Amino acid sequence: MANIFPRWTNYLPLKIVFCLLVLGGALSAFYWYYLTPEYMRAGYQPIQPVPFPHDIHVTQLGMDCRYCHSYVEVSSHSNIPTTQTCMNCHTQIQANNPKLAAVRESWQSGNPVDWVKIHQVPDFAYFNHSVHVNRGISCVSCHGQVNHMDVVYQKEPLSMGWCLNCHRNPENNLRPINQVFNLDWKPGSAESQEQIGLELKQQWNINPPQTCEGCHR
Amino acid sequence: MKTVFRHPPENFTGKRYWRSLEELADTPQFRTWLEREFPAGAAEMEMDGVSRRNFLRLMAASMAMAGIGLSGCRRPEAYLVPYTKSVEWLIPGKAVLYATSMPGPLGGLPLIATTYEGRPTKLEGNPLVPSSNGGTDLFAQAAVLDLYDPDRARVFLSNGKETTAQEFDKYLGGVRKQLELGKGEGIGLLLDEQFSPTRDRMLHSLNEQFPQAKFYSYEPLNFEERDLAINALFGPDVAIRPVFANADVVVSLDCDFLGSEQMLQGVRDFSRRRRVEGSVARMNRLYAVENRFTLTGGMADHRFRCAASQVPAFAFQLAKKVAGSTNDRVLGAVVAEFSETGTQFDDTWLTECANDLVARKGRSLVLVGNRFPAWVHSVVLAMNNALGAFGSTLAVLSVPRVKTGNLGALVADAKSHTLKKLFILSGNPVYTAPADLDWSGVQRSIPEVVRLGYSMDETSAEANWHVPEAHFLESWGDQRAPDGTYLPIQPMILPLFGGLSQIDVLSRLTALPNGVQAVRDTFKSFTKERDFEAAWTGFLRNGYAAQTPYEAAKVELNPNALPELLKTSGSLPGPVTPSSIEVVFPADYKVYDGRYANNAWLQELPDPITKLTWDNAVLLSKSTAKALQVDDGDVIEISASDRKLQAPVMIAPGHADYSLSLSLGYGRWVVGKIGRDTGFNAYELRTTSALYYATRATVKVIQKNGHQLVQTQNHYSMEGRALVREGTVEDYKKNPGFAKDVWMDADNPPNVSLYSHPPLNAPNQWAMSVDLNACTGCSACVVACQAENNIPVVGKEQVYNAREMHWMRIDRYFASAEGDKNNPHLEDDPEMVMQPMMCQHCENAPCETVCPVNATVHSEEGLNLMVYNRCIGTRYCSNNCPFKVRRFNFFNYNDRPILDRIEKGLPGFQGKSELYLGPLAPWGMAEISKMQKNPNVTVRSRGVMEKCTYCVQRIETAKISQRVKAGVKGDLTLPTDSVQSACQQACPSEAIVFGDLKDPTSRVSQRRTLPQNYHLLEYLNLQTRTGYLARIRNPNPKMPGAGKVGKINVDENGDQRHGLPHAENQNPGGNA
Repeated sequence: MANIFPRWTNYLPLKIVFCLLVLGGALSAFYWYYLTPEYMRAGYQPIQPVPFPHDIHVTQLGMDCRYCHSYVEVSSHSNIPTTQTCMNCHTQIQANNPKLAAVRESWQSGNPVDWVKIHQVPDFAYFNHSVHVNRGISCVSCHGQVNHMDVVYQKEPLSMGWCLNCHRNPENNLRPINQVFNLDWKPGSAESQEQIGLELKQQWNINPPQTCEGCHR
Repeated sequence: MKTVFRHPPENFTGKRYWRSLEELADTPQFRTWLEREFPAGAAEMEMDGVSRRNFLRLMAASMAMAGIGLSGCRRPEAYLVPYTKSVEWLIPGKAVLYATSMPGPLGGLPLIATTYEGRPTKLEGNPLVPSSNGGTDLFAQAAVLDLYDPDRARVFLSNGKETTAQEFDKYLGGVRKQLELGKGEGIGLLLDEQFSPTRDRMLHSLNEQFPQAKFYSYEPLNFEERDLAINALFGPDVAIRPVFANADVVVSLDCDFLGSEQMLQGVRDFSRRRRVEGSVARMNRLYAVENRFTLTGGMADHRFRCAASQVPAFAFQLAKKVAGSTNDRVLGAVVAEFSETGTQFDDTWLTECANDLVARKGRSLVLVGNRFPAWVHSVVLAMNNALGAFGSTLAVLSVPRVKTGNLGALVADAKSHTLKKLFILSGNPVYTAPADLDWSGVQRSIPEVVRLGYSMDETSAEANWHVPEAHFLESWGDQRAPDGTYLPIQPMILPLFGGLSQIDVLSRLTALPNGVQAVRDTFKSFTKERDFEAAWTGFLRNGYAAQTPYEAAKVELNPNALPELLKTSGSLPGPVTPSSIEVVFPADYKVYDGRYANNAWLQELPDPITKLTWDNAVLLSKSTAKALQVDDGDVIEISASDRKLQAPVMIAPGHADYSLSLSLGYGRWVVGKIGRDTGFNAYELRTTSALYYATRATVKVIQKNGHQLVQTQNHYSMEGRALVREGTVEDYKKNPGFAKDVWMDADNPPNVSLYSHPPLNAPNQWAMSVDLNACTGCSACVVACQAENNIPVVGKEQVYNAREMHWMRIDRYFASAEGDKNNPHLEDDPEMVMQPMMCQHCENAPCETVCPVNATVHSEEGLNLMVYNRCIGTRYCSNNCPFKVRRFNFFNYNDRPILDRIEKGLPGFQGKSELYLGPLAPWGMAEISKMQKNPNVTVRSRGVMEKCTYCVQRIETAKISQRVKAGVKGDLTLPTDSVQSACQQACPSEAIVFGDLKDPTSRVSQRRTLPQNYHLLEYLNLQTRTGYLARIRNPNPKMPGAGKVGKINVDENGDQRHGLPHAENQNPGGNA
């Protein structure tokens, strides 16, 4: 009796498996590339036009966040310093450092430095810096310990769920108002973060919005 | 148990409210229109050749295309771009406010400009200025869009060739040399009507240096005749302003003082005497005589339909009555000058109106339209004199003006070849000049014409030099408000395309300092402060110089000048008849005289009266239409003064018979993309002898249904649910709460909601109150909302499909007493009511319960929120909204071309908007248009529902700044009335009030306690947050037809009118 299946069918299962693998791979790649949320790239660390080391400026030299991000307490945006701010010091200090070439060039030409945006929330989410830092939320809660970063990266996912976690339980992040810009602050040994947070929440009448209009307008 | 509401059938015995003639006639077409949820909805539109099948075919193709190029989905790298040098005052992300003002033909309008990172995004009235309450008109609201008009003039042109600003400077240097040589011989300047002391100072200086130079001025909507009469009777440099604060009775003889002839202070003061807050004692009374419905006529307690050409005769007859009862010698002499009386009008009307005026002698006022002949003005001035109005309800002010010749003088000089060089510093005479002047030919006959123009227009096209003009937000300048207060014009931004202002050009000709120095020099004469710098800073910060109103002129009416003026009257025009029709040229509510024709917000705004968008039409009354056998959209040919014009017809309720209104400003032929192909040019019929109205016109029908007029009027029917409620002063005195328990709301069984009520326990509870008694319908709020909330424009085709995006609309209802045998043409003489309509923020919102994705939810502060990023576009919410205030983005109106048309390609799509190409259409917003967008409001994309948010961004900004201010102190109480919605802010008559219900001292809380407060569709248990104050009319009981004024909710006996038994308890199961 002749074979019912021709010879080439021997490899058919293998071929099918192979095709499925390729298809599955392509699908995964597609989902990974196109459909992962764009704003949750914790770890995003692009190359900046100037390799600005936060750790040298903040930890070694002891500069305050607000020297450069000067409007964080009054504006919704925490401004990126103007070239002028950089040149306040760098006309004298490290004046010829090749790493600062882009800054010097900007100062001479008047063209701004294009810093790559790391922390990005969607256009329909309106985050306000001033209301957070004036009410006991430190930079570190969202940006991580930037004072120890050589190159800044995104620490937290900045997703809506992540925002709401804190808006529901602000006590986990509240700290004394004079410690907001001290990114190394830790609650004292006697008290836990939650105790301090609950006390401050009560004292300062902290009541973060949890309805949509708080962030979406 | 189920509650079935049985809406009472519309009231056929008393007054009915209707919104259009189709509704009144209840035609089958109107019925089918209503039956669709989104009238003429997306799916079934077949009237323009696109069937559903074609549409799906195209969309499938688009989807396939979209699948190929998905690469746009990934997050692109974004950049943070700081300034290189820190900018003074500027904080990224925070608005900087500057005080400035907007020039206008009636005086400057004080403004506050909001700027973000140096770009102005929104203009608001300056409430610090004593004559202002922070309100604006709609032109001021739309002005910021003009700044970012993509069709603005961008280059200097010399004889059609592109050149540079330096070349023009060189040219001006040459002109200056010529001026010096010939003392100004042969050089003329054509100006507009403006009240700018710096410009006047430069003109005076020019005149001193070069006495032979000539000044001419021209305003298409002229005040020449009015000024002629005032100057003859009171002397030169005198102006007369109404003081509505003192006026108990106002008679308007075709004077649209709340509309196109308004000064905002007048609107404010009139409405302050109109609004009822606890007492009706101070309420004023308004009589209006007009040929078409104006905003003023809509506010009137008694309105008399009268052809414009008959208004002079009416004025004369009214003067006769007033003369009779006051025995005033001067007025008696005026009346005696006339041998004939003209057409006889309703004698009771005239007598009682005159009696009312005389009874309130010293507290009454007669106004006449600016554009009537000088002799009519003199009759009215004499009448006011007899009524003791001067010094009380009319202020006589000393207003210094620069002497200028008129357009006729200019034409004469050009024809005699004495004029060699003409600087047209403003206006667009090729388009607006009277048709019989042949201005275009005159202009070409002048050897050299220099044109300062904001865009390439008809006049620029025929000028030797075209110089781009700077917007008032780009240049230094100054203005005087109508009351004389000195106002600065500060630049917000450098000229985007290097344009020059009038002052810039004049300063080069006069060799006087330019820019800020020019204004500082002028300011010196306006301040008596010893510390000039401090005074200057205060002037710029506050936006006005204190104590600078015009001084009262110590002059009295000179009766000896009257006979001379009255001689010009000639014989009064005969009555209008079907064979001798009159044609009236009113200002357009949206484009004024044509200067705003390229403003998309204004073009798309429904006309306050006709609700027409992107067009003008010949307005006529129903009886006239019947006599001429025409209907809406029919094209007719009008022949008047040996000229012909073809234009579409629209029937306008309340219009005088055998009178046609052709609003000016449309049909321009050299204009940007927005103004192209909009309407017809009524200037073609307008001649020197008939600047306001032409008589003895004839009409011929050219084409039935020849033009598609697009109105927003029929799109939203209220099905007789008595949303507007009104009564009279008498009704109010009898029962101040007359508006509360009427119709379905009377003895309404208590409603229980099946859905859980949102917890409304936040410290602020937002609400709004709209006073129907104050709303004139001017629509400044609609444009303000559009500017504040980044609302896109959709184009005529989409408005036709009922897809306009305005978050707030103004419903205009006509009311007429049916069944009156004496008045067979009831549509002809209705009353008009305006009702601003926006999201009512129902506490039990029907839209929220049907959203499958929770995209519309309630906040604890009582806001009905719309979350764009959740919305998937099912449109169920819009289906379920009883007010039809939700708007759906059928296309990406921001990024796709709305005005470009498909030239070739898919069958069935040619000639349609490129929007229908879907993803294949060109994408992206013009860079210059992006600059206007409010950074605090999301720019919505396709497939998303949107609606009024109560300006949630302003609420949140106020809350955030209070929290920032409180810091660790924890005091989160917002100051009373610290949040203003954009519509409230813009309203000159203070009709809209927004605020916190939890704060008993807030204005909205106080309005809630007024007895005439009511809420819409209360019987549906919606618990709306927006409340309305019922309209109260103040008819004179002795006037004919007074008993029928304002009688919708209260019948003739003064009893509240109920509908049918309102609800019926049904029991489907048959069990009790």
